Amino acid sequence: MEVAEVAVKKALGLGATEVEVYTQKTKNVRVEFDEKIQSLKTTESLGIGLRVALGRKIATCATSILDEKEISEIATRTVKIAKVAPEDPHWKHMNKKFGKSSAQEYYDKALEDLEHKEIIEKLIPAIDLMKNYDKRVKPTRGILNVSTSNVSILNNYSESSERRESNIEVWMRTKAKEANMESTGNEHQEAKFWKETKFEELAEKAAEKAVKFLKAKPVSSGQMAVVIRNQIFANIFGWILNGPITAEWVQKGRSPLANKVGTQIATEDLSIADDGLMPKGWRTKPFDDEGHPTQRTPIIEKGVLKSYIYDNYTAIKDDVESTGNAFRAFYWAGPQPAPTNLILKAGKASPEEIIQDTKKGVFVEETIGEWLSNPVSGNLNATISHGYLIENGELTQPIKGAVISGNFYELLKDGIEVIGNDLRNSAHCYSPTVKFTKLTLAGQE
Amino acid sequence: MIRGAKILKAKKEQVEETELEKILDKAAKLGASYADARYQNYEYELITVENKTLKTYSSRRLSGVGIRAVIKGAVGYASTSDLSPKSLEKTLENAVKAAKSVGGERKPFGKSKVEEAYVKLPIKVNPFDVSPEEKVSLALDANKSAWISDEVKSAMTWLGCSRDVRLFMSSEGARINVETALVGLFHETVAKVNGVMERVPYSESMCAGFEFIKNKDWNSFTADISKLAIEAASSKTPPPGTYPVVVDPRVFGILLHEAFGHASEGDLVSTGESVLQNKIGAKLASDFVTIIDEGTVEGGYFYPFDDEGTKKKKTVIVENGVLKNYILDRESASQLGLESTGNGRAQDFENLPIVRQTNYYMQPKDYNFEELIEDVDFGVYVGGRGTTGGEVEVGMGTFTFGVGPSKIIKNGELAETVRGVVISGLILETLKTIDAVGNDLLIQTSAFGGCGKNGQRASVGTGGPHVRVRKMTVGGR
Repeated sequence: MEVAEVAVKKALGLGATEVEVYTQKTKNVRVEFDEKIQSLKTTESLGIGLRVALGRKIATCATSILDEKEISEIATRTVKIAKVAPEDPHWKHMNKKFGKSSAQEYYDKALEDLEHKEIIEKLIPAIDLMKNYDKRVKPTRGILNVSTSNVSILNNYSESSERRESNIEVWMRTKAKEANMESTGNEHQEAKFWKETKFEELAEKAAEKAVKFLKAKPVSSGQMAVVIRNQIFANIFGWILNGPITAEWVQKGRSPLANKVGTQIATEDLSIADDGLMPKGWRTKPFDDEGHPTQRTPIIEKGVLKSYIYDNYTAIKDDVESTGNAFRAFYWAGPQPAPTNLILKAGKASPEEIIQDTKKGVFVEETIGEWLSNPVSGNLNATISHGYLIENGELTQPIKGAVISGNFYELLKDGIEVIGNDLRNSAHCYSPTVKFTKLTLAGQE
Repeated sequence: MIRGAKILKAKKEQVEETELEKILDKAAKLGASYADARYQNYEYELITVENKTLKTYSSRRLSGVGIRAVIKGAVGYASTSDLSPKSLEKTLENAVKAAKSVGGERKPFGKSKVEEAYVKLPIKVNPFDVSPEEKVSLALDANKSAWISDEVKSAMTWLGCSRDVRLFMSSEGARINVETALVGLFHETVAKVNGVMERVPYSESMCAGFEFIKNKDWNSFTADISKLAIEAASSKTPPPGTYPVVVDPRVFGILLHEAFGHASEGDLVSTGESVLQNKIGAKLASDFVTIIDEGTVEGGYFYPFDDEGTKKKKTVIVENGVLKNYILDRESASQLGLESTGNGRAQDFENLPIVRQTNYYMQPKDYNFEELIEDVDFGVYVGGRGTTGGEVEVGMGTFTFGVGPSKIIKNGELAETVRGVVISGLILETLKTIDAVGNDLLIQTSAFGGCGKNGQRASVGTGGPHVRVRKMTVGGR
């Protein structure tokens, strides 16, 4: 008998009214490197997440141990826990709408036959490039993760839905030294397809950056144009909006976007969508983590707030359809609404044109601490670890250590000057380069 | 249905030592100069209470074996949660194959003293023997006690329990069995006063059985956090600037761990990523600064042996301001020509050990709290509860931390509360401007997350005494 069936049968037998089983099998190859390949690791993990309802009482349990005794025990324990859970007055039922959306290009079949040797052979030229780029710089740390997963979901209302996923993440760091000056360079990429990975391009950028930033200087405070590189703004806007656009935050009164659907919350130039169907998107998949089909949901269109994102529970509470945004961060975590691919729509200007049109400003290449920003109040705060001065339309002096701050929600309204055309992702968030006029730069006095 | 997710009738949750011995013997035949096997059985429970109602009760178990094989100095690793002899053999073959594909000749794997030990953290009540009802009712009560006034807008309480059993065996003959447990309660209150919203998160955890939870008054614990959140929401942000500060051990400990501890990790030192490369013997901090990494200390995480079977003793990193050592696993020790300090740690059986801190803290000296603040004319006492986190650029030593409600120090005495404090600086400069160190010592660990590095999490202990820093950049959010 299959694991999921054992669990469902056992839980229903113990009095559960609804049962959901989420099963995940992941194969992962991980390579760690610096000036050479340091280690190669292969893991195969299995996990089962079980959610049961006893009327309106809910509980979840998970295990990676797949023998019959354990599955039976976990089903028993989950029902036992549900019995002590208080009733959730808003609970009606688990997801009943199963099916697959038109999402495509989310799985790279080539990874199934990818040999360790091919992985290493593609990585070594990138490592060599960082080593030979300049005598002052060398690679200090790098990680490549290549994983494929099979996910299956079923509950007592449905047959199981299955999907395959592929995920490739690479991150590399360099360090440059000259006299008593030290600097670093970081690059990363998250992709679905092996042939989309660009190790050498990343390596060259990481090496070039570290060398350039040997000469980085602190900058003085002031209000000036701030141009934020695509991947970095993807991080920042994703960190701030991931929570507030979910119906969960709205229903709990935590979201500053509550009661604002239909109102102008941003400049007309700004559109943001949650798109679970985007070809090759980082979180593209045919159905969400409750089995509901995924879709494309406009969040902000020409500055007007259009919709929140929903899973089954929050949709029932608001009496709307789920938007297919149930998400489990791990197999052992229960589902919650979260974005699929969060995309800030690209504009027309190239990043080069944006820089050319800036007389005086700062270009933000990398930040740290952007996650100290507050999604509720919108207080944006990030430390520029790598930036450049923009003088008369050109990137000039490398700078470091300045803090950019402002209110995110106010910036959306009247602080954005230009939106670039160079869409790029940092994990599931996609943004072009964006130029702001109302960010404050705090440097050394 | 997923292939491989069929019920494995023969599968066991336990593995016999003799089976692992056989695997290690076979590793040598396959060409490994060294191999080790790590078995782990782990349980975790997390109860979340939000605004007086139980939100989730989640429970998780995992069990499996990871095998590391070294061939010509190259490391290969594979793991499985299927403990049948056939699967263990396949896992070994995968590890050997991985090591071979890394290729190249490199330095031999570092030496370590071969140990045999069975160490169990003494606990009175196994947290997994306590009924779900009792745990839920305790967490609910604690949450309800946080609602001390209308100014409390939201309150979240988490109760966490874990049990971790690890067995390490190596081809050199090491055999280490460690059992530990970790329990704790995390609470966060959001308060709003005159339109100002402040949140104060704080937790206390202990490597202990459920008796730690039972013996503490969590109702006054959460009520105190609410009081602090209200006080913070009623206060102002500090005037930005550079001041003398006295830092609570709970904040200074995290700062030390993040901004200096990581830089002292041998892997980052050997690759040159750390600012501490080639600095042994250098005077990096003021005379008052002595920094220790130690496996078993009161209040810290229980870590008598690392995941390479090396005993985790007391390692002196900085003594009276001078850098004495790094924290090292066998690989980085070999790279640097030093000996492992027992800091090779893995998140779980699916991960390779990497260099991690254990309980990293500053040694107390001789000032009491009054003496620390008495000659500060104007400064900030950085409070210990409510830290929201921080980030460090290890390559350059730049740090920035958001901390909880703090107090202004005026003419040598504590004055008004300030909120939204952010401290930032360069760690090597900060350590040089420490001009007094307290005589108290507080070390804490956490059952809620831990330190992240290269995608792996590890439970750590952080802390020390109260510390006075002559110059620290203080900003407001």
